Amino acid sequence: MYSLGIDVGSVSTNLVLLDNNNNVVEKLYVRTRGKPMEAVQLVLSEIRKKYDSKQIYSAGTTGSGRMIASIQIGADIVKNEITAHAVAAIQTEKDVRTVLEIGGQDSKIIIIRDGVVTDFAMNTVCAAGTGSFLDRQAERLGIPIEEFGDHALKAAVPVRIAGRCAVFAESDMIHKQQLGYNTCDIIAGLCDALVRNYLSNVAKGKEILPKVIFQGGVAANSGIHRAFEKALNMPVIIPEHYDVMGALGAAILAREKVNRERAGTRFKGFSVSESSFKSKSFVCSGCSNQCEVVSVLENQQPVGYFGDRCGKYNQFTASATG
Amino acid sequence: MKITVPHMGNVYIAVKILFDGLGIDYVIPPLNNKEALYLGSKYSPDEICLPFKLMIGNYIAGIKNGADTILLVGSCGPCRFGEYPELQHKILEHLKYNVEFIVIDAVKSIGLRELFNRIRIVGSESRKTLPGKINSVIRAYNAMCILDDIESQAHFKAGYEKERGECKKILNFCKEEVLSCDNPDKALKLLKDYQDRIRNVAVDYSKKPVKVAIIGEIYSVIEPFTNLFIEDILMDMAVSTRRNLTPSWWLKDMLLKIIRLNSRELLKASDEFLPLCIGGHARECVGEAVLASREGFDGAIQIFPMGCMPEIVSKAILPTISREKKLPVLSLIVDEMTGEAGYMTRIEAFIDLLERRREHVFAWN
Repeated sequence: MYSLGIDVGSVSTNLVLLDNNNNVVEKLYVRTRGKPMEAVQLVLSEIRKKYDSKQIYSAGTTGSGRMIASIQIGADIVKNEITAHAVAAIQTEKDVRTVLEIGGQDSKIIIIRDGVVTDFAMNTVCAAGTGSFLDRQAERLGIPIEEFGDHALKAAVPVRIAGRCAVFAESDMIHKQQLGYNTCDIIAGLCDALVRNYLSNVAKGKEILPKVIFQGGVAANSGIHRAFEKALNMPVIIPEHYDVMGALGAAILAREKVNRERAGTRFKGFSVSESSFKSKSFVCSGCSNQCEVVSVLENQQPVGYFGDRCGKYNQFTASATG
Repeated sequence: MKITVPHMGNVYIAVKILFDGLGIDYVIPPLNNKEALYLGSKYSPDEICLPFKLMIGNYIAGIKNGADTILLVGSCGPCRFGEYPELQHKILEHLKYNVEFIVIDAVKSIGLRELFNRIRIVGSESRKTLPGKINSVIRAYNAMCILDDIESQAHFKAGYEKERGECKKILNFCKEEVLSCDNPDKALKLLKDYQDRIRNVAVDYSKKPVKVAIIGEIYSVIEPFTNLFIEDILMDMAVSTRRNLTPSWWLKDMLLKIIRLNSRELLKASDEFLPLCIGGHARECVGEAVLASREGFDGAIQIFPMGCMPEIVSKAILPTISREKKLPVLSLIVDEMTGEAGYMTRIEAFIDLLERRREHVFAWN
């Protein structure tokens, strides 16, 4: 029996399938492209080619699109990405004490002691240094994002880039290009700047102790990885499944929950990949709160609501939170 | 004279009972919503704190419904709140709204005589006799106390209730019903009935819910719209919450301050970390964190608006308390730019943290 985990993030939607011993047997990574429901259907239709719905023991969702995805697939658990990432990290490295996570649009730090999360922080006002920004810079320099980090490693003398703000970092990079600095040195400088920014904003005041693990899409960037090791002066481990850790955590938590409740899974089956999903939003005029309510339609039938404060609508949605 | 007041949590219900009793004409602006936030942000200085903006939104809505006088409590105090009335009056003048401001300020700042003068301006609108007026004030004060009690019981019992969602339901019905009642005596009676109902909610004390103290800046913890309805969210998650700062606490605190007998326990608890008043309710915030750890709470959530000076100081002190008293603290800063997704993620993750941490502690014992 397998446990399914889906992480619907701002940039990518990931799916993992775990066997009974929580080993990853399948992992998929697609771009969300602003259409979370289509992305979920895409990954499900892929996995459907090899597996049967009956083989799914439990299903969990996480990421910023976790609510909508859970309504779509019938998830047993809906978990925030901080907890999901922490659970996956602890599962992968038992004695981890610090998790650095940088995704498409957010970055976080999770502090773990004795296998329990004791503190965390997430970027609040600035998305400098997250995946989308690096993507854009790679594109601007005409370097494929996969090779971006390797260019940084080739640098002889990293150039100092102002990394406080994404917009200024970009103009500073352009400026340094105009002055004729070597591209590799600029990229290495950018990596250093982003790590500096992360450590002084997101990780401010947090005690970073080894083992440190680095996960999320940006962990693929060897330049950032090296910059972290340099700045922290300690080894930074990148787990094998660094790019799908959120989904991995959701799958583990889903299995735990189904084990605990012994009521079987709520998973609707892979056939949902063929349903037609639509969402529409409206402003409820029931009171002066003016909630923006979202309803999800599966084959024209409403299957769930969220966004209302009073519970007038979402009481019809089977709750998987908690 | 038609009076309007800015919103802060449930204060409008007590205000309604007060003015209904006094027979003074009034307008309650619509509860804080996007419209109020939009208008307020449009006309307020960008860097000012969130409560200021919402209040401007309330005034404009009130004025559009015929109000010509704005009544608010003030504190020529040691934070930006002290400047609110002056600045707000100027903004409304610029917008060509012709309104009076009556600021009920602290005795220390304006003197007893001026305070009575200001109260008299409002009071002279009422045709009631003096005992009748005093009676109306006492009734409104009682209503506020009962309402705060109902609310705090509902928030705390939400973690223990046998039927999930019952406390929240009672609380919502209560506000709705009291608001539609124009007879102040009946309204008070209704509140007392609801107080009994919430007292008699079936609870299961063998449950061990996560217990969280809500601390921070007074307006943003009390006004649900600013904190994105955090107490409702936590009630839905079956978390027990406690918040010391309530409108009735504030009234008592203001009155007792005159004889320096206010919030003794709270201030004593803060002595170790912040022995001086630095404005706003920073000392209270620090004191509450200390008390929360002493009373076995699992964690504390601090909420304050972007740019709040006193709370920035307490935010810097909280990590030390957190470390020394082993009390996890989450600080949430709110303003009109607050993204709901990130906010919810942090709250959920924090509650997970508290739950898992406790399981771990139990396992060790």
